[in-house]
Amino acid sequence: MATAILDLEISKLPPEITVEERYSKALVLIRLHGKPIGQATLAVVGGRIDGSQLRETLMNATGENLWKNWLYDALEWDERGPVQAMPIATVAVCTRDRPEDLERCLEGFMRFPDDGQEYLVIDNCPATDATRELVKNYPKVRYVREDVPGSSAARNRALREAKGDIVAMTDDDAVPDPNWLRSLLRNFSDPRVMCVTGLIMPLELETEAQEWFERYSPHGRGFDRRVFDGAEWNPLIVAPVGVSASMALRKSAIDCIGSFDEALGAGTPTVGGEDCELFARILRSGYRIVYDPRALSWHRHRRTWEELRKTLQGYGIGVYAFWTRMFVVNREFSVPLLAWGWLRHKQLPELVASLRDRPNSVPSDLLLAQLRGCISGPMAYFASRKQLEEIKEEVISQ
Amino acid sequence: MNRENPTVSVIIPTHNRSSSLLRALDALHSQTYPIDLMEVTVVADNCIDDTLAVLKDYKAPFKLHVIEVNCRSAAIARNTGAAAATGELLLFLDDDIEAMPLLVESHTRAHQERSGCAVMGPYPPKLQGGTRFFDVEVRSWWEEKFYQMGLPTHRFTYEDLLSGNLSLDADLFARLGGFDSAFGNCGGEDYELGMRLLNAGVSFVVAPDAVGYHYEHETNNLDRSFRRARQEGRSDVLIGQRHPELRPLLHIKDYETPYSLADKILTTIAFFWPAAVDLLAAGLRKSLDFLESLGMRTTWRWVRAKLRGYWYFRGVIDELKSRSAISSFMQGGPARTDLGENEIELDLQEGWEAAERIIDEKRPDGIYLRYGELPVGHITPKFGVEPLRGVHLRPILATLVSDTLLVAIAVNGMPKSAGVKEIKPLIVVENYELAVK
Repeated sequence: MATAILDLEISKLPPEITVEERYSKALVLIRLHGKPIGQATLAVVGGRIDGSQLRETLMNATGENLWKNWLYDALEWDERGPVQAMPIATVAVCTRDRPEDLERCLEGFMRFPDDGQEYLVIDNCPATDATRELVKNYPKVRYVREDVPGSSAARNRALREAKGDIVAMTDDDAVPDPNWLRSLLRNFSDPRVMCVTGLIMPLELETEAQEWFERYSPHGRGFDRRVFDGAEWNPLIVAPVGVSASMALRKSAIDCIGSFDEALGAGTPTVGGEDCELFARILRSGYRIVYDPRALSWHRHRRTWEELRKTLQGYGIGVYAFWTRMFVVNREFSVPLLAWGWLRHKQLPELVASLRDRPNSVPSDLLLAQLRGCISGPMAYFASRKQLEEIKEEVISQ
Repeated sequence: MNRENPTVSVIIPTHNRSSSLLRALDALHSQTYPIDLMEVTVVADNCIDDTLAVLKDYKAPFKLHVIEVNCRSAAIARNTGAAAATGELLLFLDDDIEAMPLLVESHTRAHQERSGCAVMGPYPPKLQGGTRFFDVEVRSWWEEKFYQMGLPTHRFTYEDLLSGNLSLDADLFARLGGFDSAFGNCGGEDYELGMRLLNAGVSFVVAPDAVGYHYEHETNNLDRSFRRARQEGRSDVLIGQRHPELRPLLHIKDYETPYSLADKILTTIAFFWPAAVDLLAAGLRKSLDFLESLGMRTTWRWVRAKLRGYWYFRGVIDELKSRSAISSFMQGGPARTDLGENEIELDLQEGWEAAERIIDEKRPDGIYLRYGELPVGHITPKFGVEPLRGVHLRPILATLVSDTLLVAIAVNGMPKSAGVKEIKPLIVVENYELAVK
């Protein structure tokens, strides 16, 4: 049974909500004056959600967050500090042969208020011309082709091409909210903030695979703004920081801490981990990363079970490849402790619960896929580095 | 005083850092401020390197005076420079700061806008991506300090008076008697001046464009920072002796009554047999490098904080000598820090703007907050902190007393002036359901 996705403003709730009959549940994003403050799952009966209990249910789901934010608004006070001149930004999306998703993403860009930002599409090793043809329909968007495979190579290209001081990045399977860019930029008034990440909600929960993804490894990191300060936070713990599908970087940060590691990321043998690795390097240098739920975007999760399993396996590979790089290149010798902690406190208990068929336990094939990924992660990193060298030599010799 | 274009005396104390000094002087060539209104006084304190020889041949577009002193004290060096200066404004600049072109002009403009205040420019360390634990700590401390001080809602304390990039009216500086020369080489004379400035009702202002880049990393390292900690211990005693009301705020209290048993034992030994604890400290100092090579940040920070605390405490002992002296030093101050005279009562239900106006008018040290007849909270007065300004109110309401304030609003309704205003989102989302296609 599918779940409908709703986006409700708590100060202006409709008397009744109707959705298509096939939905049995609804996942509601709750906003107050436009700011996401919580989420709730509601029952849908015969395509209707009863309005009488709606307000109370949503208020309970948001808890203190509602009142805290209401008071901030009433005081006209902002936790992010004073408003400063907005920096000029570049919005970049890296894509590879997914024109349908990309179109939805670009339509999302077109709903941004125009603050003079620049738009970039980085087409990574495309097999067809579909992306180039699609981008022709959007005169504001600049098309750039990058032939070194891998999302890191594409992101680094975006950083080189960008004219703005801040580069906001999203993935082709995400759709940013109209406030997304402004919300990200607003957090850069603190000079120690080098990166801002945002909230990600599911765009659709139509299949079981999507439901499980959202349940087991949601991209969202909660509804509280958090500041991760490298002077205090352990830079190797980057899972709560956010994901690359919604992030913005200060370009000057790249000058002093270096760009993405091109051996990591989708499109390479390591499949992921490039965002974690950059977050870790920002924090190691003592700078800050802000997670701000105001910067909202919607992500289309993989629809089929096979894709989901591959995603989770890739997640395992990515994390272990990232740790391998940290251990080998950055000489962070506490990495094995983290790996042990993850195994001992999360992966093993989950697996045991799953094998014993405990209620609400995660299907074991997903967990095993992730473990398989973890095991192959370190080798994938070395293989990826070797492959990258070969590709670069090829490019030079051409 | 000529408010439009005051004459500015830049005073640079220096001690055996000729290359650094040259960079500081070179940076002053390209100031946007009229160069004929500037003079630069270098106070060379006990210099045995080539500083004096270099200065002799130095060709500067501004008037350059060199004064030789032999006092090994930044306080006396700055006072000597100030006494010889002819400008209406004194601008104290450290010799390891590279001024950006707008620095002098921004200082003078800040004085035009609000005369008679102490103006500070930020001097963050030069941006580098270094990941050594000590570099990270130092850099983030400085950047955070200047960011916080630059916020309009910042409430200044005496410890915000930094003398590395500071300008004052020459008259004001003379009237206050300058830096306290008794501080000698232990530093801390800037904080002490900050306290006297606050007591004299002088406002602190940050001129955001008066930026200079600080090359502190060239000379700073862990061992030096521990020596600095010891000097801080000494200077805190001196500050406490001059301003007894600050005594309960100083870190000295942590050592008079240590929390843990281990600390108690160590502080006791430190009095009777300091050599033993020094040995332990030297061993721990070595372990820091080892911890860093293993990447053990948390332990490193813990050991570092302990060592810093120890050297600070040794500094306190240097000045006060005995345990009983520390006790009587602490007892000489007020028992509590939250006592003050200038407190007011404020009704928030009249509206936030009205409350802010009253605070700006009365500049209280503490406030009893009410909402209608309901008590909401108490902003306690503090020593060593500037009186409250209107802009300080909202952050306090939003964070410290939010629970009681929400209850009060729920009972009494919205404040009088707000309420009518509807809060609009940045962009209104028209459809409540996201289309699923």
